[in-house]
Amino acid sequence: MGTAFNIENLKFKYPTSKNDTIKGISFNVHEGEIFGLLGPSGAGKSTTQKILIKLLEDYSGQISYFGTDLKKIGKDFYEEVGVGFEMPVHFSKMTAIENMKFFSGFYKNTANYQELMERVGLWEHKDVKVGEYSKGMKVRLNFVRAMLNNPRVLFLDEVTNGLDPKNARIIKEIISEYRSNGGTVFLTTHLMNDVDQLCDRVGFCVNGNLYEVSTPRNLKIKYGKHEVRVEYRENEAIKSSVFPLQDIGYNNDFNTLLKEKEIETIHSGETSMEDIFIIVTGVDLK
Amino acid sequence: MKTTLRLIFGEIKRLITYKIIPVSIATMAIWVVIFLMVSSQEALELAPLLIFVDVGMMMILLIGASFHLEKQEGTIKSMMVMPVSLTQIFSAKLGASLVLAIESIVVVSVSLYFIHGITFNYPVLLLFILIAGAVHATLGFLLSLISKDFTSLLGWIMAYIFPFMIPSILFTFGIIDKKYEWLLMLSPSHSASNLIAVAISGEFNMGKILVASLYLVALTVLLCKYVVYPKFKDSAVRG
Repeated sequence: MGTAFNIENLKFKYPTSKNDTIKGISFNVHEGEIFGLLGPSGAGKSTTQKILIKLLEDYSGQISYFGTDLKKIGKDFYEEVGVGFEMPVHFSKMTAIENMKFFSGFYKNTANYQELMERVGLWEHKDVKVGEYSKGMKVRLNFVRAMLNNPRVLFLDEVTNGLDPKNARIIKEIISEYRSNGGTVFLTTHLMNDVDQLCDRVGFCVNGNLYEVSTPRNLKIKYGKHEVRVEYRENEAIKSSVFPLQDIGYNNDFNTLLKEKEIETIHSGETSMEDIFIIVTGVDLK
Repeated sequence: MKTTLRLIFGEIKRLITYKIIPVSIATMAIWVVIFLMVSSQEALELAPLLIFVDVGMMMILLIGASFHLEKQEGTIKSMMVMPVSLTQIFSAKLGASLVLAIESIVVVSVSLYFIHGITFNYPVLLLFILIAGAVHATLGFLLSLISKDFTSLLGWIMAYIFPFMIPSILFTFGIIDKKYEWLLMLSPSHSASNLIAVAISGEFNMGKILVASLYLVALTVLLCKYVVYPKFKDSAVRG
């Protein structure tokens, strides 16, 4: 697997702002992985995405896309890239199918949008004007729009925001399948569930800076509580004890508890991604 | 070219779906009724003014309405991540807006011919209408881009109409003296109105035609290149 994006010392400043919005970040996105950029609102996630999808061009630093300088790639870039925006991006007085037909007409290689719309539960509403769609339906249609050109790299901004759990799961399943088939995903989000369930690697973004970049598992090991919590029943009451994870097999108290008590639950003391984010950046996600 | 045509057809389809072309046709119907009620001479005198209202004021208003609706929808941003250039998107919008101008002369020309038997030099009229339409479409984009929403756009349109359109209309009715005409031609709307009047009356003043045409073409190109296009790009990216 190669590198889809290699970003070196990326800086960006909006013409109207005094300070840099992106302050010299470096990271890479491997081909075939789901990379998550996690951060609160205003952290610079969407700006980073806009730069990577070539909507913002006056940046400094170096970005390469599969080894080629991003600035040297023309509009054919969009034949390979699918973009799912957080906000609705469809013609509201046109039906969903009219929108899909219009947008798909500009690509050389197009996906089967009927199949995609069926999977996200929109096919039966294909002849309804998008303006009459609920927020969740618009989010799902945005996702279908992003997949229209069978992209090699998929950019998704807050992809499950506003979706009910059932539809969020369907979207996550499609994303996972897409990754399994070799697709690369760049995901920006503030939702922990998305990161935990989808991302192979995650970067923490705050105030235009990028903090730790690693796998969710490694982050949990590095910043997690190394302990085991055991809940057990004693005298009709539920009690719990916490043991250090190190040398747990030689811990007599732990072993005695397992042998003599009626165990209800055993949990390793994993720290949530949200807690890890706060530990690493010192900033709350909300 | 194929992509640009596809974009133009998409724009025209939306102008119909969003009731912008139907509203424009309804306005045209009012002109037809007026032509039915007046004499041939009066119809000939009124025609340039009615075409100018359609190609000037209506063009700015309808482009503004369409622009702010699309801004709300975020569709321009969606189009920017397609394999088309922003220049193609912008050109398609400009091209589609000229359909409104052409629709205006078709309705006026056909109705004047069938009601009063009046004919014009149609190729010249079409050329001048395209020039007048292009400059007003550009102004429509400019006013849309500097306004926050549709209400604010209406304020900007009024701010444009008073110094640039009203004097031209007053001149047409003889309220402003002819000696001020060259000064008035600084107004794109007056220069455009002049071209339309010339094409309909057939009284060609080559000096005036050349100055008005060159001025409007240059203004359209300069405004598009240095003001409207950069602002359009910025607005599209910000969403």
